[in-house]
Amino acid sequence: MKHITIIIASILFSTLFYNQKIGVNLSIFSIISILILLVSNTQKFRNKTTIIYTLLYLLTAALVFIQHTSLSILANVLAFITLVGSVKESKSSIYVQWYNGIYTSIAGYFHRNLHKIDNETTKKDIDVLHLVKLVVIPLAFITVFVVLYRNGNPIFSDLISKIDLSFINLKWILFTVLGYYLFSNIFSPVQFDFATNKDLQTGNTLQQSETFSTEILVKEKQLGTTLLLLLNILIVFYLTTDVISLNTKWTEAHVLSSQVHNGINALIASILIAIVIILYFFRGNLNFYENNKTLKNLAFTWIILNTILVILIAAKNYNYITLFGLTYKRIGVNVYLFLTLVGLITTFLKVSKVKNLWFLFRINTQIAFVLLMILSVVNWDNSITKYNINHAQSLDLNYLINLSDNNAVLLNEYRKSNNLSSNQSNRIITKHRNFVYKLNSRNWQEYTYSNFELKTISKTSRNNEYFK
Amino acid sequence: MSILSNIGKSSLLAMSIFWVINLTYDFNWDYIPFVFLSLIPIYFCCAIVILLTICPIFWFSVSEGFNRQQIFKTYFPIYAIIIFGLCSYGIYKTKTDIFAISFFVSAYISTLHSWMWFVKPKKVNQNEQTTLCK
Repeated sequence: MKHITIIIASILFSTLFYNQKIGVNLSIFSIISILILLVSNTQKFRNKTTIIYTLLYLLTAALVFIQHTSLSILANVLAFITLVGSVKESKSSIYVQWYNGIYTSIAGYFHRNLHKIDNETTKKDIDVLHLVKLVVIPLAFITVFVVLYRNGNPIFSDLISKIDLSFINLKWILFTVLGYYLFSNIFSPVQFDFATNKDLQTGNTLQQSETFSTEILVKEKQLGTTLLLLLNILIVFYLTTDVISLNTKWTEAHVLSSQVHNGINALIASILIAIVIILYFFRGNLNFYENNKTLKNLAFTWIILNTILVILIAAKNYNYITLFGLTYKRIGVNVYLFLTLVGLITTFLKVSKVKNLWFLFRINTQIAFVLLMILSVVNWDNSITKYNINHAQSLDLNYLINLSDNNAVLLNEYRKSNNLSSNQSNRIITKHRNFVYKLNSRNWQEYTYSNFELKTISKTSRNNEYFK
Repeated sequence: MSILSNIGKSSLLAMSIFWVINLTYDFNWDYIPFVFLSLIPIYFCCAIVILLTICPIFWFSVSEGFNRQQIFKTYFPIYAIIIFGLCSYGIYKTKTDIFAISFFVSAYISTLHSWMWFVKPKKVNQNEQTTLCK
């Protein structure tokens, strides 16, 4: 039963992906993968976490078809890995699930083979090695002798060269073997025992060690208090100057650009160092030391001041976007700011609720995963184009033309309703034409939602030059 | 399993995978002598990889009192992911050239199989004790 299921799945795998680009095939592959996992691990799919990951995987599969963006493909792959890892052990942290998911997908067969070796005494297996020898050794010798005989007899050589095996598509067969390997790996997921057990045994709360020196703690507290106090003063000074500079009107793109990007670089460094310093001082027994209130308050103040720094950078980025529109870099800045804010909040929680480092890893990776899923819902090329056309005070049309084909229709509509330079107009026409050509030359495996949209457009605009 | 026997088996496996992929894309009877000649460089490649990356793990772990199953469970998952990453990077950097694909795929599968052969108990006698990586 297992082998038949995997063979059918691998044939479908080849049908979907052999010589094809990504499209509806990845969405169908997601459904097949879920079915394979469901067939072999029915019990695990009663678990709430696994059900949530399955739904997320299905959502990303739908997004690959609808949005067809790199981000949705990335989200789909990550959701696949997470689901496979979760089927094996749903209680482990998400990064352990990722590890187990990757490990299962690439080496599950080898891992399971070890267990087979261990259980070999109870079960008598077919001697695969003997079967392989039975095929490979005669085949190798026949090949050698065929080559030797070819040189000795021209009629034999002629006959051999007439053998035409071109009807067998060996590449397709190899691709099917790859599919078989992948499905056989995920059929019953495996885990990295050492990491998984360690993760399951480790809680989120920090434990006080039995032996510690009060003298060392006092010294550490003094150092921490001095350092954080000085850093707080410095950041207050920096924030004051930053607020003043924010009120100054800068309308030149390069001035604002360097301001935001330099600000971001400074922010990256300062917040990472801030988190590392806080984590260093609150790594162990100082959390349980009675006279640590001043140090804790200074740490909280510093976190709050860093949060203000994040808000100021966000304000600068907002100004920048209002004036010059959205770009991937500017969106990236916002994403980074959000993640930084999350990092600061979780660090705050770590210190106030006496949590350990694993708590930070767990919660932050989980939030990053959810954020990726949310971001993959949006068709960014389309959204950037729409926003910039409607809201940006200064439109950089060349940037929009250089984006992926996802905004081709939108740009073409904009071209029709506006007077553009001949160069820009031609570039948009070429882009749109290429987009329509690509859509029309797709195989069914590569179909996306755009193909169906195109059919609707072609029905409504019969006079369109591309649909004639 | 002894190291020499393991290298020998791995080389044969690597050679088979390498040429199956290559000949699938471009078959020519004239390549057949090269198939057998390629065993020499493939043997050296396998020997270097096994001696430098797999054997040290077994030697150090055995000296620390690990048994074969523990060594496999502790280090194999890390090894598999690192090798997969390196091979994928190699394929990516060579722009999915068929020669590179066959080289890295054969390297990946043969190194992982080599682990299996090291861990697999010797089937001489069921009561006989097995030895690791002599």
